Amino acid sequence: MPVRLQRAFIAVAIATAATIPLFANLIASKAQVSQARRTADGKADLNGIWQALNTANWDLQQHAAQAGQVVALGAVGAVPAGLGVVEGNEIPYLPDAAAKKKENFDRRLTADPEVKCYLPGVPRATYMPYPFQIVQTPNYILMAYEYAGATRTIHMDKAPPSPADSWMGHSVGRWQGDTLVVDVTSLNDQTWFDRAGNFHSDALHVIERYTPLGPDALTYEATIEDPNVFSRPWKVSMPLYRRLEKNAQLLEFKCVEFVEELMYGHLRKQPGK
Amino acid sequence: MNHRFITVGILPVAIALASLGTEPVAVQSNPSAAKTTGAGAVWTAPRTADGQPDLQGIWDFRTITPLERPRSLGDKAFFTAEEAASFEKDENTRQNRDLIDPKVGGLNYPAGGVIPYNEVWYDRGDKVVKTRRTSLIVDPPNGRLPPYTPEGQKKADRRAKEGRDTQLGHPIADSWEDRPLQERCIMGLNAGPPMTPGPYNNNVQLFQSPGYVVVFTEMVHDARIIPLDGRPHLSIRQWRGDSRGHWEGDTLVVETNNFKRETSLPGSSANTHLIERFTRTDPDTLLYEFTVDDPTTWTRPWTAQVPMSRSDQPIYEFACHEGNYAMPGILAGARADEKAAVKGTK
Repeated sequence: MPVRLQRAFIAVAIATAATIPLFANLIASKAQVSQARRTADGKADLNGIWQALNTANWDLQQHAAQAGQVVALGAVGAVPAGLGVVEGNEIPYLPDAAAKKKENFDRRLTADPEVKCYLPGVPRATYMPYPFQIVQTPNYILMAYEYAGATRTIHMDKAPPSPADSWMGHSVGRWQGDTLVVDVTSLNDQTWFDRAGNFHSDALHVIERYTPLGPDALTYEATIEDPNVFSRPWKVSMPLYRRLEKNAQLLEFKCVEFVEELMYGHLRKQPGK
Repeated sequence: MNHRFITVGILPVAIALASLGTEPVAVQSNPSAAKTTGAGAVWTAPRTADGQPDLQGIWDFRTITPLERPRSLGDKAFFTAEEAASFEKDENTRQNRDLIDPKVGGLNYPAGGVIPYNEVWYDRGDKVVKTRRTSLIVDPPNGRLPPYTPEGQKKADRRAKEGRDTQLGHPIADSWEDRPLQERCIMGLNAGPPMTPGPYNNNVQLFQSPGYVVVFTEMVHDARIIPLDGRPHLSIRQWRGDSRGHWEGDTLVVETNNFKRETSLPGSSANTHLIERFTRTDPDTLLYEFTVDDPTTWTRPWTAQVPMSRSDQPIYEFACHEGNYAMPGILAGARADEKAAVKGTK
């Protein structure tokens, strides 16, 4: 592998491994659920800084630990094991799509859009190893993700039609009791679900559900529909944890500058040439 | 808003600061939210559920009012309605890229260069600010940037030369690091801090939740989440610095420092201490004021005002890096130039 490629990949890998938060006392009870925090307009209060604590971004499905792809990174670049977040663990690919997934996996070092710091899409943004912040207002809910400074706005009152497909899609939300249900459409076909090459087409439709599990945890569920790629809808689910540090805040992870050598290095002026 | 650019990389354009308002409203230099309307009633900004002045909404900051007052206007701080109409007519002609002959040049395009964007790409607005000020700068009183420090002057001279080289088709591009942060999609042209009217995507949405205000600019999908709880500044530097907010009456005051390299203002330094003020002055106007204290670049602090207008248009995704075909094009072009030059000398 060219040195420049290794360098850039190391930067991404180290940055993503460096955000392991501390969590405590997150055991929820029925009593806590009924006492979910409320906003002034009486909705469940989802405001806060949240983070998944799993390895779904490496692979949605159950997987054993394995070596990374960059020899120089050793244990730092290795893939941590995971129980998986897919209900039933099976992703129901159509036959051609299953072959494409395998090809993606083989090419993942160069083909995963995360390597290039591209916007992550939905639902991947939720379970990347970075925090994200929910800013809840009656008419709009802003989701701001630390990774790449990605953002999306959930339209609650009236949603204008989506003008075009985009990386983070078009989100329309509604409340079902204390659950925020978000319909995400108009997603382009450029994003993946994880670093293992799980993918979708631009027919992707994601239905997300955010439900308070206690004052400091949410249950996140995403139902995935894409008739071009999957034989039936399937679902991921996981808890999200509140970042409880007193001074918690999103910091910048503007990763463009970490991938320019990787993407444009071959166009750098070569002295003497 | 006719022209929106959803997934377009930013092309190299030398940008004149500019933007829009509709009806003229007199606004004081230090505005108060309470304001007498024509009917004599006092207008007060509405409140959020937790009692803060409600700044929320989508705000449009297009205008053709320049950052600096044209020298020909001397001490004239405000246009009359007739003068404003006449300025708009002239300026909209002068700014129209389709009317500039590349052989002759115009605006900041030198003769014999290229006009990289034609007019259809622009959405800078076609009106002066609703205060009818002749410049966005309100202090110094002459409406012009204060004198540069020696270091600021050096940087300005270099930038001017680089701008000319770029317009003449020979950008300095040994690597991406020679290109502005906007071309690299690290910062938006107008997203700030501070926000400054520019060629397109002059839109911002404000969100408020208990303890936070979010300044969410369309360019480049930047959500600046500002804590209001009085916590100390960070001890690290970031591209957008590190913003902390508090209320002074009905005005949101945001202080930002710890910039990594510069603010979004051309020529500014990491040493900038920036103060932004957001005040609702009527149902459809958000007055945005910022003071730049950058002793590395300018010999004194300066202040600009941008009245923003309520918009009913949604904010779209501006995926800049993902569509940045310009950067490999610029670099490949520079390499091709070098090859051609080597051949030419053989």
